[in-house]
Amino acid sequence: MIQETNATKIRLVNCSKTFEDGTHALNPINLEIKGGETVVLLGPSGCGKTTTLRMIAGLESPDAGGQIFFGDEDVTQKPIEQRNVGMVFQSYALFPNMSVRQNIAYGMKIRKTPKNKLDHRVDEMLNMMRIDELQHRMIDQLSGGQRQRVALARAIATRPRVLLLDEPLTALDAFLRENLRVEIDQLLRQLGITAVYVTHDQGEAMALGDRIVVMDHGDVAQVGTPRDIYFKPCNAFVADFIGTVNRLSGLVADGWLTVTGGTLSFAGKNGKAEVLFRPEEARVCPISEANLVGNVETSYFLGDRTKILIKNISDDLIIIETSGREQYEKGESIGIFVQSENLILAHSQGDN
Amino acid sequence: MLIAQITDTHIKSPGRLSYGKVDTCLYLWQCVNHINALLPRPDVVLVTGDITDFGRQEEYVQAGLLFEQLAMPYFLIPGNHDLSDEMRVEFNDHSYMPSHGFIQYVIEDFPIRMIGLDTTVSGQPYGLMCKERLNWLEKQLMSQPNKPTLLFMHHPPFKTGIEHMDVQNCRNADALGRLVEHHPQIKYVLCGHVHRQIEIAWHGTLCAIGPSPAHAVALDLSPKGDSAFRLEPRAIKLLYWNGTDLIGHLSFIGGYEGPYPFFDNDGLLIE
Repeated sequence: MIQETNATKIRLVNCSKTFEDGTHALNPINLEIKGGETVVLLGPSGCGKTTTLRMIAGLESPDAGGQIFFGDEDVTQKPIEQRNVGMVFQSYALFPNMSVRQNIAYGMKIRKTPKNKLDHRVDEMLNMMRIDELQHRMIDQLSGGQRQRVALARAIATRPRVLLLDEPLTALDAFLRENLRVEIDQLLRQLGITAVYVTHDQGEAMALGDRIVVMDHGDVAQVGTPRDIYFKPCNAFVADFIGTVNRLSGLVADGWLTVTGGTLSFAGKNGKAEVLFRPEEARVCPISEANLVGNVETSYFLGDRTKILIKNISDDLIIIETSGREQYEKGESIGIFVQSENLILAHSQGDN
Repeated sequence: MLIAQITDTHIKSPGRLSYGKVDTCLYLWQCVNHINALLPRPDVVLVTGDITDFGRQEEYVQAGLLFEQLAMPYFLIPGNHDLSDEMRVEFNDHSYMPSHGFIQYVIEDFPIRMIGLDTTVSGQPYGLMCKERLNWLEKQLMSQPNKPTLLFMHHPPFKTGIEHMDVQNCRNADALGRLVEHHPQIKYVLCGHVHRQIEIAWHGTLCAIGPSPAHAVALDLSPKGDSAFRLEPRAIKLLYWNGTDLIGHLSFIGGYEGPYPFFDNDGLLIE
């Protein structure tokens, strides 16, 4: 749990957004972000995450009735330049006709920061982002990773109250992304700044967020710590979006769920149901002890573990992992035991 | 900066051994663990082709599951046993890989520039640097003539003395050699394909082949030597960039005795 700091709290009250062309981007959301906390807005494109971020930035205003607070201050009517936020975008948005140094200095320059203070701060930023040796380069001489470092330096140079990051790593290749993600994480901890981070990448969200806000079609689907979201997803959308999940479709009758591959005790309403479980909630066992039986489709060697894909248990392949290295023949019968108490209900007849 | 090479892993479909003998999945896993455990840890891994044995999709899935366990970035180019399309499907999050055509690219963002070359010819065991690929390479080299550069490719552009491998080396190698001569920023040309540590002074630079973490091609320099492999001590090549030079090392995979000290507590050589 994050410690409350002096950093700026953010509060969204009843914020919805309908664009002028009638597009409804966001249903009313209420969200509190603690001072110094990193909150990740996660979801597929069109879920409303970027709209939410842009409202916090002051680039969009919420529909009438919505309010945004920074600490106790109502900033709903304030434009971006009066909110003191730092922003980093996927597209870098750096000035191509300026050097790295000039880019970083830009925000302070328009705030008329005295020269000696400005130079000192720019040096500090160059140092912090480890781009000292690039300071006189022009932006088009930089790689993607270097550009994003410059963008980060520029965003924090003015000591913003809040740092907003919109898919800052999306344009980078997978490896650079991983490296820079670690750096951003360290940077946010070091600065203790309140940060809102938008991404569609669950790995990034899990790694960076103190809390994750999973969004779906303009609604908040779930807010929670990465652990909560993974182990206690509130619905099938969240479970599917984060991590690997297995899906069983069948019939519930008197506390038992029956699928093609067997029967599990399951306390749900009678009728059709779809339930989910994580690969780690199941283990391979002798068929006589199994609650589900299927046939091996294929298996992969992971070193200390083997990943097995099983068909004929339910409509979808079931994926599980087992320790050690067993050889499984394609088609061979295999029994698994799934812990019933960890099943996640996705749908039941009562729901739809 | 430290670069590790993994080459010629020949991953098979799950549960199969290469040539009925070599457990290439196990060997790759041990290799990945070996690299992750090195101190200092390599900054990057270059995978120089023959990732799979038959280019099958499930072989790539299996290979991907093991490569994913590397603790550092890794970059792949194809060898003659690979199929580019299947490779792209499995590694579709490797955005440096062009979405079509040759799988060749430049890796910036490291103190040394690394250029991966695609030497494959569809359906053929030999390699080729055709005009199109050479032109591309020349363009890349001209764009940063002063930055130290490493080339990596699957087929070696020279003859090793192992005849059955030499007939399938990289063709049009002279043209590549002339291009390399004109670009002294090239510090090293790193290859695979032959499953052995082999090197040559080549067109003003060093060209070397690294060993496979699985089986080795048998060392047989006799004319018309048989095509065969041996299970020799498994190793990987490490390239250490000290800021001016690239220095090649071998690192053997597996448990070996030591380290033992040379000197006793008084600083004297142990008798």
